[in-house]
Amino acid sequence: MADNDIQASGASYHTLTVRDRLLNGLAHHQLVAVETLLKLLAKPMASLLTWLVIAIALTLPGALWMSIDNLQQLSSSFQSSGRITLYLSETASIQEGQDLSQRVLTLPNVRNTQYISADQALEEFQTSSGLSDALVMLTGNPLPAAILVEPPLGLAQHEIAELLKVLKRYQLVEETQLDLVWLERLQAILVLSERMVMVLGGLLALAILLVVGNTIRLSIAARVDEIQVIKLVGGTDAYIRKPFLYTGIWFGMIGGLMAWLFLIMLWAVLNGPVTQLATLYGTGFGLRPVSATAASTLILSGMVLGWLGAWWSVSRHLHEIEPQA
Amino acid sequence: MSMVQFEQVGKRYASNRDALSNVSFALNKGEMAFLTGHSGAGKSTLLKLMLLMEHPTQGRVLINGHDLSRLRRQAIPYHRRQIGVVFQNHQLLFDRSVHENVALPMQIAGYSTLDYTRRVKAALDSVGLLHLEHCNPIELSGGEQQRVGIARAVVNKPALLLADEPTGNLDPELSAEIMKLFGLFQQAGTTLLIATHDIPLVERMGKRRLILNHGRMTGDIYGR
Repeated sequence: MADNDIQASGASYHTLTVRDRLLNGLAHHQLVAVETLLKLLAKPMASLLTWLVIAIALTLPGALWMSIDNLQQLSSSFQSSGRITLYLSETASIQEGQDLSQRVLTLPNVRNTQYISADQALEEFQTSSGLSDALVMLTGNPLPAAILVEPPLGLAQHEIAELLKVLKRYQLVEETQLDLVWLERLQAILVLSERMVMVLGGLLALAILLVVGNTIRLSIAARVDEIQVIKLVGGTDAYIRKPFLYTGIWFGMIGGLMAWLFLIMLWAVLNGPVTQLATLYGTGFGLRPVSATAASTLILSGMVLGWLGAWWSVSRHLHEIEPQA
Repeated sequence: MSMVQFEQVGKRYASNRDALSNVSFALNKGEMAFLTGHSGAGKSTLLKLMLLMEHPTQGRVLINGHDLSRLRRQAIPYHRRQIGVVFQNHQLLFDRSVHENVALPMQIAGYSTLDYTRRVKAALDSVGLLHLEHCNPIELSGGEQQRVGIARAVVNKPALLLADEPTGNLDPELSAEIMKLFGLFQQAGTTLLIATHDIPLVERMGKRRLILNHGRMTGDIYGR
């Protein structure tokens, strides 16, 4: 490089070794990181809008993802009890029903059976539906007796169909119902929603890039003088870029932290009603809080997007600024 | 070898105005010279060519034997680090102290605070402003700001020092002092080229004088 021989002509020049340069470079990174963060925190109102936009853009897919995650958890707990209900004819006596329940239990691919008499069914319905007052007015019991048949876990679809065929042959069985079709539908809806979250997430990521890029563009415009002087005294593009990149990273990180906070608040607001609803349906389901993995993913993607947005903005505008005299 | 060499250099702006035409001269290492001429004669353009703030439309500029037209864009910052420069409008940053302004070239070159603090103090001392190091440059007078600019230009001990009207804002006494300072830099081995229209001052210094007139070099007078 040209500077070596030219510097040699200067008198007592303290030259830098590679190690010096590395260590000093690291120290400068630290310095710039802290300085840019302090600058942002010193005037929080100035960048609050940007932080909020980033936070909201991260909260939306985060919240959707959280709901899908919870629904998946819910559906998997249903899957384990994907059971068959046999509705018995009205003429069947309690004794006949209980006998049938015992016989079904001896069939292959049946893990457990439970006989529910018409009276039991009505009682259960009264307590869980909240319609007890209306039901009192009925003269008779409209509900049939039923047998719940629970196949073993992980039974293949065709085996379940086979079992259904066998069960339908019993004379006492009026109707069979497999609680699986709606599960499959739920699964399909969940897959679809996951896709939608991905698309939405992509769009919102683009929005974050644009917002950070624009904010950085403004701060570049506010520091044109400084950039000109730095270029004049020999600052490289990397040196000039550094504070802006750190600013972008901090924007993303603060936005991500705020999004996390929003999700925790959302969870706190929704968990009560959801638990209550679940109790009404007779399950002990509660909303899962935002996991540490999800939170760090949120913050990390904020930081990466902030950095990318800043990089995009700086590389677009840096070349336009040249030193003036 | 020459520190600065201009070979039939011409600079024509987009407006078809010739700022410089057919300018040739050389400055030896350790030489001190003045560049004089009326305003608009091309003094600033000539300095800007050496800093690669402008590019010649004709001829070659060589600094320390390196042809500047062959320099890649990425190499420009490293080229500028070898040159200290003082402009009339100081180009100081008002969001930091005098000390931090002077430290900027050292910081950019990758020195640690430990390495450069003493150098910055020494540079400020040489222009007589050490007592103001923690002030913001905006609180300083025009002359003081000018001297901070000079301290920043020399802190890196550049092999070549360029100055554009460095005494433009200064009273005669201070101007003389600055010139004396430049003389000391020359004694330490620095090559200097100083653009000015303060002819009496130049004559008192008795150094080599390059004269520009409407973009042409019309005189090259060696001093005593």
